[in-house]
Amino acid sequence: MQNVIERILNLLAFLLTVHRPVSADEIRMTVAGYDQSSDEAFRRMFERDKDLLRQLGIPLELQATDGWEVEHGYVVPPDAYALDDPGLTDEERAALWLAAQVIRVGGQAAGSDALLKLGGAPAGGVVEPLAADLGAESDILGDVFLAVAERRWIGFDYKGSRRQVAPYGLVHRRGHWYAVGPERSDLAVVKAFRLDRAGDVRLSEQAGQFERPRDFRASDSIPQAPWEAGAEDLIADVVFDPDLAWWAKRQLSPRVEAKEDAAGALHAAIPVANVDAFLAWILGFDDRAEIIGPPDLRALFVGRVRAE
Amino acid sequence: MTSVRTARRLTRLLAMLPWVIANPGNTVREVCERFGYTPRQLAADLNLVFVCGLPGYGPGDLMVAFIDDDEVVVEMAEYFSSAVRLSAPEALTLLAAGMAVLSAGQGPTALRSGVDKLQRLLLPDSEDALVVDLAEPDLVGELRRAAAEGTVLHIVYTALSSGATTRRDVEPWTVFSTMGNWYVAAHCRLAGAERVFRIDRIQDAEPTGETFDPPPEPPPPEVRYSPGVDDVEATIRLSPAAQWITEYYPVETVATENQSIVVRFSASNPLVIARLLLRLGDGATLVEGAEVAAAQRGLRERILARYDA
Repeated sequence: MQNVIERILNLLAFLLTVHRPVSADEIRMTVAGYDQSSDEAFRRMFERDKDLLRQLGIPLELQATDGWEVEHGYVVPPDAYALDDPGLTDEERAALWLAAQVIRVGGQAAGSDALLKLGGAPAGGVVEPLAADLGAESDILGDVFLAVAERRWIGFDYKGSRRQVAPYGLVHRRGHWYAVGPERSDLAVVKAFRLDRAGDVRLSEQAGQFERPRDFRASDSIPQAPWEAGAEDLIADVVFDPDLAWWAKRQLSPRVEAKEDAAGALHAAIPVANVDAFLAWILGFDDRAEIIGPPDLRALFVGRVRAE
Repeated sequence: MTSVRTARRLTRLLAMLPWVIANPGNTVREVCERFGYTPRQLAADLNLVFVCGLPGYGPGDLMVAFIDDDEVVVEMAEYFSSAVRLSAPEALTLLAAGMAVLSAGQGPTALRSGVDKLQRLLLPDSEDALVVDLAEPDLVGELRRAAAEGTVLHIVYTALSSGATTRRDVEPWTVFSTMGNWYVAAHCRLAGAERVFRIDRIQDAEPTGETFDPPPEPPPPEVRYSPGVDDVEATIRLSPAAQWITEYYPVETVATENQSIVVRFSASNPLVIARLLLRLGDGATLVEGAEVAAAQRGLRERILARYDA
């Protein structure tokens, strides 16, 4: 490992100071650590080192070495290499470090490498007894986040078709990550796409591909309850029995009209945008909730329960 | 694996150098704490830096790195005076962690300002493009306090599987959130063992007036499912539309047939599986499991009776 680290430090020092694209051959001749290897050994070693640089988040680009673009060489543009310093105070670093200790993203500790780059975490502080896993794979999330930050289109497979979406925002709510934005086919309609159901996510090459509307607020575009997300639009009248009324009340958003009768049963008028999600939720109450109306919804529920 | 360790070591080294260059008058102890080094590891990394530099590799080309009295000194290394920019996943996970803690109403005021600074850096043209919402149900704060203070609670709990409501005294250990739900891991005095309770299913929690000594090492906060002797099992065929459940429930895939998969599902109560089958409709077929079939029949009859259907 020692040799690899020395070689990478030498390579990086060279690339950061040379200010022009350099060919693999020149690197082999010039940088300490590559000089004694055979052609094949050099090729393999250099490939591994390039991967390692990318793993570290170091931008290694290939650029033409001459005006005719006959030959190409490697460049690490200092601007793209260097961290923009957000100017964190030590107190802020310590607070972020504590947050990174208690939050996981897909089982991985979140953000400790990032904090090192931002100047490390000063000692002190007690981890609070909060622990949460934000789920999802951080690779896909990282890609979508990049697309949001740089305003790139994303393409992905979703519910049986390929989508092209302008990701205005990225939201975590109720245990899921959503990309929020319109599809290319209809820019007027902002939708939410659950990322755990998106396959083969690709980013457009170019940045700055769309404008985010000035009044866009990602937090407004994700519904609080799963049945509030969707294209359907109806109001369900439901009665919940007294013994489970508390549990129903807890899950309804505050704007839902709900009244308890004298016996303690809860009568609620619930806006439903996703019928499947709504019926699944009602099923969780066993026989202690009843859809009173509209008649079509009631019939649909009964049909689902009866079906063999 | 070597490359992961190499990458970690390089990440730390390339982060330590700029900080040391920018902070003359530092101490070895400070550098070690800040970057998680032991003094020995720090010395080893400085020794590597000392033999590296620019082509020529003579005395005027190599970096200078040493410990002077108690100060870490790095010179002739201006090209490493900036830290490496954050990769997108790194930036996102750190920002998301900060936002998650804030949304749960936790964290000191410095966290708010730190998150704001990161957000302005990473998402300069939008204040509201990233949202992390870990909204807490009622009782989370109370349970967290009880865990911190070692207060025994009397809870009224409705089990998700059976719908049965019980009252029990619990010693709350840790409060955590996963897959969008909040849980408390506790020693349950009724069961005489550790139990994990879903917090939105706790109807009420009152201190009993007793205290307890928390375990020195509470088990990691996660929803574990350990099959018990009274468990029921079922074998279910899932069409592609229903296969998402494999990520949410403890199932074992036993066969793949064309597009469908066959899974084995065990649960402490057959109703859990029966309800899921009704929910999945055409997407799922019960292949084997007499108890689940009976539970499904019962569930159907109860609901249809209520609807006079």
